[in-house]
Amino acid sequence: MATLALSGVTRSFLRRGARGQRQSFAALGPLDLQIADGEFVTLIGASGCGKSTVLRLLAGLDEPSTGQVLINGQHPRDLQAQHSLGIAFQDHALLPWRSVEGNLRLPFEVAGLTACAERIGELITLAGLEGFEHARPAELSGGMRQRVAIARALALRPKLLLLDEPFGALDAVTRRRMNFELERIWLESRPTTLMVTHSVEEAVLLADRVIVLTERPGRVRTDTRLPFARPRSSQLMRTAEFHRLVDELTANLEIA
Amino acid sequence: MRLRALIYPALGCLLLLCAWEVLGRYGLLGKTFPALSQVLRVYEDAPRRALLGRSIIATLGSAATGYAVGICLGVATAVFAHLVPLLRGGLDRMAVLVNALPVIALGPVLIITVGREDAPAALAAIPVFFLMYSSTGVGLRGASERLGMVLRTLGASRWQQLAKVQAVAALPSVLSGMKVAVASAMIGAIVGEWFGAPSGLGLVVLNSMQNFQIPLLWATVIVIAAITLSGYGLLTLGERAVRSRIGECDV
Repeated sequence: MATLALSGVTRSFLRRGARGQRQSFAALGPLDLQIADGEFVTLIGASGCGKSTVLRLLAGLDEPSTGQVLINGQHPRDLQAQHSLGIAFQDHALLPWRSVEGNLRLPFEVAGLTACAERIGELITLAGLEGFEHARPAELSGGMRQRVAIARALALRPKLLLLDEPFGALDAVTRRRMNFELERIWLESRPTTLMVTHSVEEAVLLADRVIVLTERPGRVRTDTRLPFARPRSSQLMRTAEFHRLVDELTANLEIA
Repeated sequence: MRLRALIYPALGCLLLLCAWEVLGRYGLLGKTFPALSQVLRVYEDAPRRALLGRSIIATLGSAATGYAVGICLGVATAVFAHLVPLLRGGLDRMAVLVNALPVIALGPVLIITVGREDAPAALAAIPVFFLMYSSTGVGLRGASERLGMVLRTLGASRWQQLAKVQAVAALPSVLSGMKVAVASAMIGAIVGEWFGAPSGLGLVVLNSMQNFQIPLLWATVIVIAAITLSGYGLLTLGERAVRSRIGECDV
């Protein structure tokens, strides 16, 4: 489990200006954000506000231009090296030539561990893929592939789980079902989680806290703690409180 | 349906061969265009068959040597360029430069450096090297970027990323390069033999042309085409098998 701290983080990129000269433009920040141990936080904001940049910074795939990103007081690269991060994207990014089992073994191989059959079996049960152990990704539905990708992210019991629009490519019905599946999977180990999404409903349904980022350069506009108990049900989505929060957060998103 | 897919090409080939026989027999395309039956008779003649047999062994030897050396060097250089991005630009330009050099112009240089006997293998290796360098590079870079991000986040070293993902994803492209390189290796070896190699199909082609042994010339060219096509066909099967084994990378 991890405590996460972003302080004064900015990220700017170089791009070509109108006359071909190089210009720096700010994509993110300054951003200050703390996430406590075991919290599930969703990050929403307009397109291009730097949500995915935040995720890449935490994954150690990118460096901030200024400021500091610390996970348990350590640099994300250190957590990478300790194999303590898990990540899943909108595109499942599974190895097409490996079976479900083979894909789930990948994190263990990378960490130089032998994946015991018991743990792999556990992950397959967790992802609800019994009977599909030997299927290739091409033989699975979109929802099943995402479940494999999420199970792979959780394989090494990461201290921090990063999810970048994991259900963005799924149809509405599958997506709803996957939301509840994710909560069930998440509740088994409750890793600190940051999830980027475009869907306000999904954000409210899953999170302990919802953070709305401003338009570029992204900063924290609102930080809302949700009062709902877990596990959450489809009942919750029919309550007035749920709808009030979704409306409020959607309004926050739309402020120009 | 399957039968039809076989019958039409077979009929087409038969028609072409008949046309060849007729055109040759009546001398419709001149004296240098013999009938097919005349060409085939070369293979029945024992001394000529022995000559062709010796030459096939010599040319196959040089082509295979050049092919193997070119593949090893090309793949190794591409992997090296992939692991050391700093050197990639320079290696890319070097490979293009090597490829731009006309093989014919290189011949005399190779004869004084590697000698007459090894010039065919060297000339076969050069285009194979270039083809393998570029096809391997394309394959290595073609692996899904997202997959790379997942692996880096999981803490995979550069070497692990190469072994677990990129090398496997590159296999179809590598095989496709090897397929095209078969013909290049044969051309290189045959041209290399023109610079005074002691034996080989290239030499037979040259001698039979100069001595006006037209049927022998054609018989030799058919042998060369058959070797190249079988290599190409074999690797096409291999490539297909690998592609279906690896699956489409639609991630």
